[in-house]
Amino acid sequence: METTEIIDGKNITLERAGEEDRTLIFKNDMCAVCGLCETICPVSAIEANPTGAMIRTEQDMSKIDIDVNKCVLCGMCSSICPFQALDLQINGDSIRELQYPQLIKSAEIDNEECIHCKACETACPQDAIIITRELPSRAELITGEIDIDKDTCIYCGMCEEMCPVDAIDIEHQNPTSDNPVVATDINVSEDICVHCGICKRICPVDAIKQVCRICPYGEYEISVPEINGNSYIDPELCVNCTWCQEICPVDAAKVTKPFEGELTIEQDTCQGCETCVMVCPCNVLSFPKSAKSGLKAEKLHKDERFCIYCGACQKSCPVDAINVKRTQINYTPTKSKAWKKAFESLKQ
Amino acid sequence: MPKHIISGLKYIAAVNLRKQGQTQREIAQALDMDRSTVSHYLNGRNLSWNSIEIAEIVTHFCPKDFLILTHALLNDTERTRTIIQTCTDSKFEGIIRNSCIGCGICVDTCLMKAIVLNDLKAHINDEWCCGCLICMELCQTNSIEIKEVVD
Repeated sequence: METTEIIDGKNITLERAGEEDRTLIFKNDMCAVCGLCETICPVSAIEANPTGAMIRTEQDMSKIDIDVNKCVLCGMCSSICPFQALDLQINGDSIRELQYPQLIKSAEIDNEECIHCKACETACPQDAIIITRELPSRAELITGEIDIDKDTCIYCGMCEEMCPVDAIDIEHQNPTSDNPVVATDINVSEDICVHCGICKRICPVDAIKQVCRICPYGEYEISVPEINGNSYIDPELCVNCTWCQEICPVDAAKVTKPFEGELTIEQDTCQGCETCVMVCPCNVLSFPKSAKSGLKAEKLHKDERFCIYCGACQKSCPVDAINVKRTQINYTPTKSKAWKKAFESLKQ
Repeated sequence: MPKHIISGLKYIAAVNLRKQGQTQREIAQALDMDRSTVSHYLNGRNLSWNSIEIAEIVTHFCPKDFLILTHALLNDTERTRTIIQTCTDSKFEGIIRNSCIGCGICVDTCLMKAIVLNDLKAHINDEWCCGCLICMELCQTNSIEIKEVVD
């Protein structure tokens, strides 16, 4: 019964075989260096490395160190990690699937409500959202008729060159003595044409007839096809920051945060080093641009709507200008007094 | 010599199991012996009294030494458990404090398989606890207390 350590790049795996096979997996990329694992570890086996160095420079070391001689593979670090960077597996099953205390957090997008505008996909600080949508062809949203009189056409190619949707195709050729013409054919694709009328207007010989039916009959003639799509939030990457929920124009996203609390910034102490802005996994913090050159902007701006109170910013601040206070930790009930005490100890 | 000590221990275990009312067949199975050997042992044959005397001394070692020596001699956890349990006179009571985090190190270490995890907490089955204190020594959160039960 001995714990072994496997280092794979910056990822760490600890293993102990026994009555149960326990494996603790640390994924460096997922870690935001919030230090909750370090705080909760009952045997002080975890040490988070200096955030500034981790975030700003290429480091060879992992964001956290786990002392293989101290770690007992209890799983508290995995249970508290809001970023799924740590995972304890027992006989191959993640304790997220077992009867262990779990942070209560969720994020989902109601596909019935979603209009697939992609605002959430753009806003998500972790690139955890993928919106797929099938837009109709342009031709489905317009109706008209176009005809090119091939006998009148002189194949000058002006229409082909100017068509904004490349709907016109001319079979150009170099004239030969047996076929002394500059082109053999001209065709317009009705599926692609948007009936803008540019070809008709540019044609020097009036060979093109085109009408857009919308204009005389009004908008009612075309029913707008339904836009089908899908939304997906990657549960591994999602940090439950509520950006998607806040930015959604139709209230299709619902997010539950694991922690509640307060974030305070001492503007006078802040030196504007930007480490917190870089480390925050939820894009809570930003430096506002100054309105005019020579004018000082607000030092550090926060929007607490997006804060999950993980404490990464506080931990990273070299001048202690940030304070994160957790007032509530949402986790599933447990009979274990030690686990309860450990979770509660993270509140202030 | 190790074999003689094992024979002595098996003799004592066989006699004790017989006292507990087990049949020769059950004893043979529990101790991984021939039925005929069990029969000889129970009739006081085929074994030097010297081996029994040494085995007697071993059973009165401190529980940890008794357990580790027996396990080393037998190299078989199940037989070790049977012999230790039948040859130990003392009774022990294990108490798990609420500081237990359920890491399972005690479960993995207990040669007597006396500990299980339930609701993220260890539970000691006093029936099988031999008082070796190995779990207590290894517990990183200092959550185990083993007491000898005095009648």
